[in-house]
Amino acid sequence: MDNDIVVKLKKSFLFRGLPESTLSELAQRVTKRKLVKDEVLIRKGAEGDSLFMVDQGWFKIVSEEAQGGELILNHSGPGESIGEMALLDEEPRSATVIALSDAEVLELKRDAFLSVLNQNPELSVQLIRETSKRLRFTTTYLEKAIDWSKKIGEGDYSFALEEINTEKPLGGQESDEDKAGQLLSAFFSMVQGVKAREDELKEQLLKLSIEIDEARRKQEFEEITSTDFYADLKLKAKKLREKRTNDNP
Amino acid sequence: MGQIVSIHSFRGGTGKSNTTANLAAQVALAGKRACIVDTDIQSPGIHVLFGLNEVKMGKTLNDFLNGLCDIKDVAFSIGENALDAEGRSKLAGKDLWLIPCSIRGREISQVLREGYDVNRLNEGLQTLLKDLNLDYLFIDTHPGLNEETLLSIAISDILIIILRPDQQDLQGTAVTVDIARSLDVPKLLLVVNKALMRYDFQDIKNQMENLFKAPVAGVLPLSEDLADMGSADIFSLRYPDHPWSQAIRGVAQMILASK
Repeated sequence: MDNDIVVKLKKSFLFRGLPESTLSELAQRVTKRKLVKDEVLIRKGAEGDSLFMVDQGWFKIVSEEAQGGELILNHSGPGESIGEMALLDEEPRSATVIALSDAEVLELKRDAFLSVLNQNPELSVQLIRETSKRLRFTTTYLEKAIDWSKKIGEGDYSFALEEINTEKPLGGQESDEDKAGQLLSAFFSMVQGVKAREDELKEQLLKLSIEIDEARRKQEFEEITSTDFYADLKLKAKKLREKRTNDNP
Repeated sequence: MGQIVSIHSFRGGTGKSNTTANLAAQVALAGKRACIVDTDIQSPGIHVLFGLNEVKMGKTLNDFLNGLCDIKDVAFSIGENALDAEGRSKLAGKDLWLIPCSIRGREISQVLREGYDVNRLNEGLQTLLKDLNLDYLFIDTHPGLNEETLLSIAISDILIIILRPDQQDLQGTAVTVDIARSLDVPKLLLVVNKALMRYDFQDIKNQMENLFKAPVAGVLPLSEDLADMGSADIFSLRYPDHPWSQAIRGVAQMILASK
């Protein structure tokens, strides 16, 4: 049983490379947990005192929106760890984690984790490395979100529509950039709605239909301009303009 | 020398007085010396936008036309006396005057009955330009094409025709444009007011310019907010970010650029 867990721990990015003795020690303190598809592993805002290593299956890390929708922040799969942030800073869980498929994780409680950490400085380095990787991903994600928001502001929706139409399967060897694009495309799918509404509005803009009765126009003009008053006015206006020009050359 | 800017519309209800008041206010706000003359003697209205009523109103254009006073005595300083509303208060210290018309029924009916001497009106306007050292003299005209209005058009350096995008206004505007050309008005600008938001404003502008061969200085949206304020204040000063106000500033820029 423990040996089985040691094998699993060796596959986790966080613990691989630790001495056999440490892994055995850890193996005694972790518990296996099975989840079915759509089961919630972590609930945002909850107290968190465990760390999870994904052994099998995939999870989505989501931020729930007020309107009931969800925004996928990241995906986690075999080898990756989940929940180490709350374990370290003792703040409530920062996001919700839901199984995308039937899955199996190893759970490690804070006390156990900290005592292993104390005895294995290399684990700290490994932890920092994993955290840095995640931070780097967040930066890419943010940069892309800013870039796309800017484009939307300028009325360019092409990027999001492209991304949305080329969804790639999970777990590929995509770069951070690609991964951020995939995740954000779900978020920016609202852009499709915005664009559709805008297009519809543009089509709805009515065109004015203008028609002038030219005969009437001519007749009314002649009625006004055929009077003595008008002839006099035209002359007077001409003189006045000349006078003002001469007074102020 | 100051420029005479006549604001005209073929029919009533186009928002002419409101547009005139806002344009003059914007020009004054830009530091120019401006005066508005209300020549709509039959149905005066622009004074209300500057908070003037029968009690506050002193001498009027009617007094001048009847030979009872000099035109300068009629000039009411907005920058000193009309700062009792949020928008208008921004005109404090600005060089903006108003020549109001009498709102007394007796005096209005007298003018309607007897008419008045357009020559004297013309002299008064020329005097104002000189004595107040104006950059711009705005004339709020009476709708239609009666003799007084024809005079305002004839002597103007810039004629702004305000129209709504509807058939009757268009027909009347066509005649006014022809008259303005016949009277050699140097600059003609069209302003479309009360355009419904569901219309394509760029298309309206293009069509009007094609039809009248004159530039459209602005297409102003029909605004419920503007109607809601009634005539209590100068809208573009009170709500500078409103689309209507932005469009008005665009027209004011064209007036300022044409000096």
